[in-house]
Amino acid sequence: MSGRVLVIPAYEEEGRLGAVLEAVASANLGCEVVVVDDGSRDATAAVALRSGARVLRHPFNLGYGAALQTGYKYALERGARVVAQMDADGQHDPAELAELLGAVERGDADLVVGSRFLGRGSYRMGALRTLGRRLFQGVARLAGLAVSDPTSGFQALNRRVLEVYARDFFPTDYPDVDVLLAAWRNGLRVAERPVRMHAGSRASTLHGGLRSVYYVYKMLLSTWTAARRRAEAPATEARRP
Amino acid sequence: MNPTLTPEQLRAIFLAASDPGTARAIALASSLSLAAAVLWLVRRRSLREEYTPIWMGVAAALLLVSLRLDWIHALTRATGAWTSSSMIFFLGEVFLVAICLNYAVRLSRSGVQIKNLAQEVALLRARLERVEDAAGSPRDA
Repeated sequence: MSGRVLVIPAYEEEGRLGAVLEAVASANLGCEVVVVDDGSRDATAAVALRSGARVLRHPFNLGYGAALQTGYKYALERGARVVAQMDADGQHDPAELAELLGAVERGDADLVVGSRFLGRGSYRMGALRTLGRRLFQGVARLAGLAVSDPTSGFQALNRRVLEVYARDFFPTDYPDVDVLLAAWRNGLRVAERPVRMHAGSRASTLHGGLRSVYYVYKMLLSTWTAARRRAEAPATEARRP
Repeated sequence: MNPTLTPEQLRAIFLAASDPGTARAIALASSLSLAAAVLWLVRRRSLREEYTPIWMGVAAALLLVSLRLDWIHALTRATGAWTSSSMIFFLGEVFLVAICLNYAVRLSRSGVQIKNLAQEVALLRARLERVEDAAGSPRDA
């Protein structure tokens, strides 16, 4: 293993995952590709296996955040130095990962977020989502963390971040600005790099209808909690004597 | 009813009214039935012992109320409530909110444990597949 792991959480993505994994192979990142199948009822796992990816299968659906965390735990177990994460819906271009991984490997930061809003590309958000982004950006800034794209799931991180993110505080549903803030409050360096992104399905899945109201409420609460905690408690297992 | 009664006089009448024996009997029967139900559920292993103290406590409180209704009256007077029944309803609501919160905390803890177990299953399965791959034995897709 090269020490690089690419984590792709996937839930019922049999239609798009194949193309995403082809693009990953073309990007030639030198990563062990790990698809975390979050209890899909379709052929997501089979598509991933055919593409030669390592597949971690949840026995039932746990949520996007839990799927990401399973990938982090796997990377820790495998001794990975650096982990990249991207969505399975084709929103993220794997060719952009080289820059994110490189920034972490050079030691520019412990966690590098691919931002849609730093000049590259022409990503367009609806008015409501822009409002939400600005709200979370403002909340993070109040807590002391400046990020332009607080909801980006396109990231690269090193082992220090993995060790924090493998703990029990990590949300099972929407890990966004709250976990960035938790990493930062744990003394980890957070940076951003400009990336191009396409419109994906995660945003519409997570932020549609009444869920968007819950999302804003939950994110404000967890951001407030993350901002007030000095450091996250170690995982349940680690607390045992 | 005398139309010249003031609300305060009316409240005093409520609180001074003697307690009907049937109310005591119902409270007593309820407390004994609750205690019996808890024991029966534990015996048939539908309820774990660790969850019983709170319900036995409720049964004991009901028993106490059935024997000493005057304590409820005293509490009603002290808090400024109008009737003993409203006081009992209020205490019941407080108890229900508290127990719901307690179960929400327990559910949250169980949720984390279930998530960790499911992740562990996924990681162990992947480790098994790696071992099988290394050994060259076939595995299911």
